[in-house]
Amino acid sequence: MKALGHRTWAVPGGRVPERSTGAEPEQTSHDLLCLLNTGPKDAAVSIWVFYEHREPVGPYPLTVAARRVRHVRLNDLIDPEAVPLGMEYGLVVRSDVPVVVQFWRQDTERGKAIATTAAVPLD
Amino acid sequence: MSMAGRSALHPNRGKITNWSGSLTFRPRYLERPRNEEELCAVVRAAARKGLKVRPVAARHSSSPIIATDDVAVSAEHFTGLIEHDTEERWATVGAGTSLEEAGRALREVGLATHNLGDVNVQTVTGAVSTCTHGSGRRLTNLATMLIGGRMVTADGDAIELEHTPDMLHAARGSMGTLGIFTQVKLRLLPRYRLRRREWCTTLRECIDRIEELSEGSRNFDLYWYPRSDRVKLRTLDPPGEGPESIPGARLVLDKEGWSDEVLSRQRVLRFDEMEYAMPIGRGMECFQEVRERIMERHRRTVGWRVLYRFVAADDAYLSTAHGRDTVTISLHQNNTLDFAGYFDDIEPIFRTHGGRPHWAKKHGLGAEELALLYPKWRAFQRVRRRMDPDGLFLSPPMERLLEGP
Repeated sequence: MKALGHRTWAVPGGRVPERSTGAEPEQTSHDLLCLLNTGPKDAAVSIWVFYEHREPVGPYPLTVAARRVRHVRLNDLIDPEAVPLGMEYGLVVRSDVPVVVQFWRQDTERGKAIATTAAVPLD
Repeated sequence: MSMAGRSALHPNRGKITNWSGSLTFRPRYLERPRNEEELCAVVRAAARKGLKVRPVAARHSSSPIIATDDVAVSAEHFTGLIEHDTEERWATVGAGTSLEEAGRALREVGLATHNLGDVNVQTVTGAVSTCTHGSGRRLTNLATMLIGGRMVTADGDAIELEHTPDMLHAARGSMGTLGIFTQVKLRLLPRYRLRRREWCTTLRECIDRIEELSEGSRNFDLYWYPRSDRVKLRTLDPPGEGPESIPGARLVLDKEGWSDEVLSRQRVLRFDEMEYAMPIGRGMECFQEVRERIMERHRRTVGWRVLYRFVAADDAYLSTAHGRDTVTISLHQNNTLDFAGYFDDIEPIFRTHGGRPHWAKKHGLGAEELALLYPKWRAFQRVRRRMDPDGLFLSPPMERLLEGP
């Protein structure tokens, strides 16, 4: 299958819920980036995180293998630095080959709530 | 021209920054002696001017033990394998040799260190002088390898390290306060291969098996991830030994190599670190308290893992494992983020459990508190004061650490 999707995506509505309720890791509140690479080449992905009151942080480098999906919890990113919980952020995702990007949030602070949306393709 | 005919000290305008970037200082003189004679001249010149002298090694330390406003000395020209005896299992290396370089050179002559830490960018002397360690129930820290060497003393003389138990117990973990090493003689093992495996699981799956797992592998440690309660277990064993599987854990890495190739891993991402060493019987209780505190107060800003390791007891006077089998717990924080609030909040928990801080990492203790943690504190001080009666190697941070306010 050929590479579907786009090389640049944006997610403006990020905010990892600070608190969690229930057994972890299953019930940990988190923001999740879902990356789909349908093409024959590995995708070299870099993420930039934008904030309200400070300069963007990045790149967060990731690889999505050819013809694979990769789900990345924003909570887990530490390179180059941990994304703060409970703080508004937006993401720009760039890839050297077309990929499809979806965004997901699990919030268990006051009972379980799931929200999901497609990221915005920009090219 | 003889060294007496020109100044032995070289003015310095640049600043020195440690590996993580959290420590910066600007010594008046930065010296890179090419041989013992030059180093002797540096020490004598500093003594004449009333200046303090500190060795700077690989600058991996994030505590201020390397910091000085006066004379910083690099051992970068004292490197390589100097002498060895494979049958008798010892070797002498230059003081500025990195652990990585030493590992390669020793392997070529059939030898190896008994353990290594998570990174190997430090110099051998830096590791030996700060009780740097890896992990393993029956493995002592790297300072215990020291069985001799040469150093330039506060008098400006180059000497062989005295081969007395008192001197060796003092020299292991002495942080450059007895003299400046030019060579270190190490007790070693025949080179050996290890199978490194890494396993992913959750804390609740493995928490009751930590004792059994740590007994079941030559090297064992665990990383706990505060933002998920997940865990990575690392086991290293001679090929054919160690656990076949770990219930509830998924094998994510499996590779075999010579010990120096697989014990350490390359770390590009920079971080600051606090580590305390507790009696082994207090380790898990302390870890659980640390975990609860992080979950409650610090997950917002802390994504880095907590490292839980084992070190066997030894008898070096300032060893963090002196007289007791030990568990170490390390906190990490990205070097671009604030670490002080996090480390300061956790440190009292470590202290409640009888913890001793790693000499080369962040901590808030001074001589008064440290003296109570080390049964041989006075024995060390006797040797140090005999070797350096005027405190040439006691920079202000070292004075606070060893003599108090």
